[in-house]
Amino acid sequence: MFPKRFVLKRLLLLVPVLIGVATLVFSILHLSPGDPALTIAGERASQEFVERIRADLGLNDPIWVQYIDFLGNVVRFDFGESYVINRNTTVREIMANTLPVTLELALYGQLFGILFGIPLGVLSAVKQDTLTDHGTRVGALAGISVPIFWSGPLLILLFAQVLGVLPTSGRISSTFSVSPIRVTGMVTIDTLLAGEWDMFKSAVRHMLLPSLVIGVYSMALISRMMRSSMLEVVRQDYMRTARAKGQGAKITVLKHGFRNALIPVVTIIGIQFGGLLGGAVLTETVFAIGGIGTLLVEAIEVGDYPIVQGTVLTFAFLFTLVNLVVDITYSYLDPRIQQ
Amino acid sequence: MPLPPVVRERGRLVAGGAAVGSVAAPILVVGLVVVVGVGPLAAAETAFAFGGLWFGLALLGWAGSVASGRAIEAAQERLDVGSGWTERRSRRAMARIGGFGAGMMLVAPVIGTAVG
Amino acid sequence: MSTETLRDGEAETASRGLVDRIRASPFLSQLLSNRLALAGLAIIIAMLVIAVYARLTLDLEVISRSQLGTNPNRAAPSLEYPFGTDGQARALLPRVAYGAWYAMLFGTVTVGASTVLGVGLGIVAAYYGDITDNVIMRTMDVLLAFPSLLLALALVSIFPDELGLWRAVAALTLVYTPRFARVVRGAALTVLENEYIDATVALGATDPRVLVKHVLPNCLAPITVQSTLNFGLAIIDLAALSFLGFGASAGTPSWGLMLSNGVSQGLLTGVWWWSFFPGLFLALTVLGFNLLGDGMRDALDPRMREAVD
Repeated sequence: MFPKRFVLKRLLLLVPVLIGVATLVFSILHLSPGDPALTIAGERASQEFVERIRADLGLNDPIWVQYIDFLGNVVRFDFGESYVINRNTTVREIMANTLPVTLELALYGQLFGILFGIPLGVLSAVKQDTLTDHGTRVGALAGISVPIFWSGPLLILLFAQVLGVLPTSGRISSTFSVSPIRVTGMVTIDTLLAGEWDMFKSAVRHMLLPSLVIGVYSMALISRMMRSSMLEVVRQDYMRTARAKGQGAKITVLKHGFRNALIPVVTIIGIQFGGLLGGAVLTETVFAIGGIGTLLVEAIEVGDYPIVQGTVLTFAFLFTLVNLVVDITYSYLDPRIQQ
Repeated sequence: MPLPPVVRERGRLVAGGAAVGSVAAPILVVGLVVVVGVGPLAAAETAFAFGGLWFGLALLGWAGSVASGRAIEAAQERLDVGSGWTERRSRRAMARIGGFGAGMMLVAPVIGTAVG
Repeated sequence: MSTETLRDGEAETASRGLVDRIRASPFLSQLLSNRLALAGLAIIIAMLVIAVYARLTLDLEVISRSQLGTNPNRAAPSLEYPFGTDGQARALLPRVAYGAWYAMLFGTVTVGASTVLGVGLGIVAAYYGDITDNVIMRTMDVLLAFPSLLLALALVSIFPDELGLWRAVAALTLVYTPRFARVVRGAALTVLENEYIDATVALGATDPRVLVKHVLPNCLAPITVQSTLNFGLAIIDLAALSFLGFGASAGTPSWGLMLSNGVSQGLLTGVWWWSFFPGLFLALTVLGFNLLGDGMRDALDPRMREAVD
């Protein structure tokens, strides 16, 4: 039943995606003005120092040689060391520390969006043009209108400052040390694996507001999509016939229709994951969670190219992987696809 | 051994693009040297990076159309104003653009080595 | 003769009055019966009034300058300072009001520029078809696949720092252009398929004339919808870029910058008004555009018009 060939084919797509992104990043960095060697060395550096960096980075080779080298590095996921942000640390190491942070945030946000978005969308469609429907639709529109950097601070002020029931920022209380029990790098999972109940509670309490803030956007999008897709299914002929037969049949058919209506919704979850990564950049900034998003912003600001390259490729990798998972779900819902 | 028609068709699209790209590369190099006044090697390097831009874009676009073409079609239909985007047409165009970029990226080093 | 009858017809249409004409247009009547869309329109008009009023009555230099010593520092909202004062003792109310002007101005420029670029590319792609079409549209497709904020972050670094908010405008214009190109191309293709275009071309109309006189007017509805939906996004993304440090320069009364200040300095001390008021205005404006845009989209889409019986 499990479509092995299909999964393999989709996994192979990672190759062109990564080469494509790598080529793009490489070309843009070369076409944009500015000398990377000078950026690293700083404005006041001596000529020799700049020359040495240039030689170290292979900037004296012709661009096609550099390109081949770069592709080789991409395959090994080796972007060398950070220039500015965290000198003498490899990009790979920095990624290993920050990626799980963002991943955890995005996963909880996505989970929240799916768990609330789908029921709300169905409710809205079933009760079309009633007060419930209007309320849900306005709620969904408000959800995509409220910026994360407003809802975030307000929730922090309310729950952390006024009510004092939730922590303000960070991922876990500073009295705990998570490094000894690190397995996945995601605090809620690591603490659970280690059986540290108190630490787990602290991690969950820290995670609550950020995943709510980031998840509202997914929820809004998913519920709108679900409503529209559900209405479309309901309008189809066989649904009309079923409704004519009476109330009991209507419910049976709604159940059947739900599965069909879910198909386009599942697909959008994949594309929308990219937006979630964008949202992670903002959420991490508001809640002072040091993930890959804040890393990217900082690296762009100071011109730390190895980190920019590493982050962008990681984002592309993640995006493709998530879409693979979505595709597998999709082929399960709609078996025609597998052929 | 005759190739399957699908491969032949794709091959034609890529090759057509590559032919245009390999003609465009020397034109761009000459243009950069004459108009902007950079050295021939630097011009060839810029042509290479420029070709890379299209090649990367097309590769990404091709993979993206294959991977999430259905999703894009579904999303456009329901959340946006429709436009008749289809996965198949997108893939064919990407083959052409990618060929163009690859053509430039292959010819530019040849020019660069010849003049440098 | 025939010109006479035409003139009569025109006069009749004009005399039928606005109400009748609105009723005759399914798009407008549908839109006007949508209370949410009207609420959105009301919010937008209110914000526009605030923006213009602030621009005309407030002195940008005065509200940007530090007021330490003159005003109380970090004062909570009161009768005298309804929105409180910030860390440099500047009253927040005029700054937030002026922020509306910034949002409207830069939002309009961003959406306007991407509309013009997108309309141009989309119409050219549709009219010339084949290779031109493919190359333009597929490049647009790739750009479209990137998450808007991440792409804007990547593009913003290409432009020099000195441009301030214009840097964000330039990056976002490039990010949004593909959406317009796609929509316009679709609409233009349907128009071009109509036979009367063929007839016009046969009668000797030159390319640009056909495009401007026949294709463009028929694409106006989808363009307007897309612009409205995009306006909200543009305002939020502009603020987000400022919030992350890639937009307005320090001291500028932009909502994104005020919110950034509220998060970096106001959170731990509980100075809620630094975040609350700028964000409220930002969210309301965006909601206004989203409500209106959503209503317009539904009015345009025939599938939505037919209600379930």
